[in-house]
Amino acid sequence: MTLRARTRLRRGDRGSRFLVPAVVILGLTSIYPTLYSIYMSFFDWNWGLRFNFVGLANYVELATSERFRTALWNTIVFTVSAVSVEFVLGLGLALVMTRVRVGQGMLRTLLLVPLMVSGIIVSVIWKVMLDPTLGVLSYGLQLLGLPRLGFLGDPAMAMGTIVLLDTWWQTAFVFIVLSAAVQALPVEPFEAAEMDGANSWQRFRFLTLPLLKPAILVVLMFRTVDCLKVFAIIYGTTGGGPLTTTESVQILAYRQAFKALDMSGSMTTMVVFSAFALLVLAFYQRLLPSEGEAT
Amino acid sequence: MRRRRWSVGTWTAYAIALVATVISLFPLYWLFVISTKTPREAFETPPQFIYIPDFSKYFEVWNSAGFADAYINSIQVVLLGVGLTLLVATPAAYAIIRFKVRGVRYLRFWLLLAYTTPEFLFVIPMYVLYQQLGVYDTVAGLAVIYQVFAIPFAVWLIQSFLGEVPKELGDSARVDGCSELQTLLKVYLPLAAPGLAATAILVGINMWNEVTIALSLTFDEARTVQIAVAGYRGYAAIRWQEMTAAAVMAVVPMIIFAGIAQRYIVKGLTFGAVK
Repeated sequence: MTLRARTRLRRGDRGSRFLVPAVVILGLTSIYPTLYSIYMSFFDWNWGLRFNFVGLANYVELATSERFRTALWNTIVFTVSAVSVEFVLGLGLALVMTRVRVGQGMLRTLLLVPLMVSGIIVSVIWKVMLDPTLGVLSYGLQLLGLPRLGFLGDPAMAMGTIVLLDTWWQTAFVFIVLSAAVQALPVEPFEAAEMDGANSWQRFRFLTLPLLKPAILVVLMFRTVDCLKVFAIIYGTTGGGPLTTTESVQILAYRQAFKALDMSGSMTTMVVFSAFALLVLAFYQRLLPSEGEAT
Repeated sequence: MRRRRWSVGTWTAYAIALVATVISLFPLYWLFVISTKTPREAFETPPQFIYIPDFSKYFEVWNSAGFADAYINSIQVVLLGVGLTLLVATPAAYAIIRFKVRGVRYLRFWLLLAYTTPEFLFVIPMYVLYQQLGVYDTVAGLAVIYQVFAIPFAVWLIQSFLGEVPKELGDSARVDGCSELQTLLKVYLPLAAPGLAATAILVGINMWNEVTIALSLTFDEARTVQIAVAGYRGYAAIRWQEMTAAAVMAVVPMIIFAGIAQRYIVKGLTFGAVK
C-alpha cells in the first residue's frame, strides 16, 4: 500500500466520524420505524390487548381490499395529473420569463409565495374561495354565465379540484428549478441553430428539451414522490370524500390507524405503498445520469 | 418587421407573467379579505373590494382555544428542530464533500429514501415508541422525528454551499496544524455562513408548515399552529372569519422570512433539487 493510499484511507476513516450523528438520528427516525412496520405487518394488533401473529394474512387482506385498490388508484391519478399539469405550466413559465427583463426578479419572488404556505392553509384558502354558495370563485363563474359548481363536494369534481389546489401550491417549484436551468443554458447552440434556419419549435424540441433533461428529471422525481405522499391538502378539504373519491393511500392509512385503530393493517398498507414509492424512485434513478456524468 | 415581432413576444411574456402572479397572490389576498370582514360583508355580492378592515377576530383567535400556545409550540419546534438539523447535517455534508468516505453512495441513496418514504410508514411506529418513552405530544419528540426529512434536505443544501469554498483553503489550514473539525469551524463555516442561514430558513419553513406528522404525534400539549388552524376548519360554514384570521397569522411569518431570504431561497431551492 502506498503512503498516499494509506493517508487517503486514514482521512476516510476520520471523515466517517463526521457522519455518525446523522447516521444515528436517521437510523432512529427511518430505519427503526421501517423495520418495526414490517414486523408489525405480520401481526393483528388493535392498539389494545389483541396481539396475534397472523403471518401473511394482513397482506392477503390488503391484496383483496377494494378500498386499498381505490386509494392506490386515486393516488396514482392525482400524482400523474398534478405532476403533468405543474410540469407543463412550470416549464412554460420558466421559458416565458426569459423574455421578461424589467422586474423579473420581483415577479420571480412573488411567484414563489404559494410555496411558503402549508397544506392546511392551502386547504383553508380554497375552501373559502370554492364554497359553492359563498365563494368568490363561484361568484366569478356566475358572472361569466356558468353554472354553480360543487367543486370539493361533487364526487365527479373533487379529485380534479384537489389537483387544482396542488397546481396552485407547487407549480412554482417546477418553475424555479427549471428557470435556473434555463438561465444556465449555453448560448452558442441556439445561435447556430437560428443561423441554420431552425424555427422556434425545432429549437425547443431539439435543443432546449434535451439540454434541460437532467433538471427536468430531477424536478419530476421530486414532484412525483411528493405527490405520492399527498395528505394535508386532502385532509384539510375533503378528508377523502365525497365517499372515497379523493381518498389517497396516506389518508387511508391515517383512517385505519387513528379512526379504526387497526394499527397492523395501517402498517401493512404503508409497507406495500412504500415499496411502490421505492420502485417509482428507482425508476427515476435509472433515468438520471450517474454521479460521475452529472455536472 | 423583426423588431415588431420581438415586441409582441415580449408583450405576451409580460401578460403571461402578470396573470401568473395574480393567480399566485389573489387567493392569499382573499384569505386576508375574508379574515377582516364581518360575515355579512364577506359574502355580499358583488364583493366589496374597498372596506374598513375589522381585525377584531385576530385578537379573539389569539386569546382563545390555545391558539397562542400552539403558536409558541411551533416556534419551539422550529428552533429546536433547525438547531439539531444544522448540528447533525453540517458535519455530514462536510464529510461528503471533503473525504472519500467509503459507502457515500449508499448514504446518498439513504438520504433520498428517507426523504421519499411516505410519512405514515414512520409515524405509526414512532407513535407507539413515543407513547412508551413518554415523549408523545412533546415539542422535543416532534423536533426529533422532523429530522427524517430535514437532514436529507439540509445535507443536500449544505454540501453545495460548502462545496463552493475552495478546497485549497481547507488544505492549507490542515498544513498549518488545524484538525479537521477546526478546519470546518474556522475556514468553511464563516465562508458558508449565508448558505447555512438560507438552509436554516428553508428547513424552518418546512417544519413550521408540517402537517402530517404533527397531526399524528401531538394531541394537546405540543399541538402546532397548523393543527390549530386545521381545528377551525370543521366549523367552516359558521366561523370563516376566525378560520381565515388564524390562517393569516400562521402564514405571515413565513412570507416575511421568505422575503428576507429571497435571494438565498431561490438559490437554496434550486441547489436542493438539482444536487
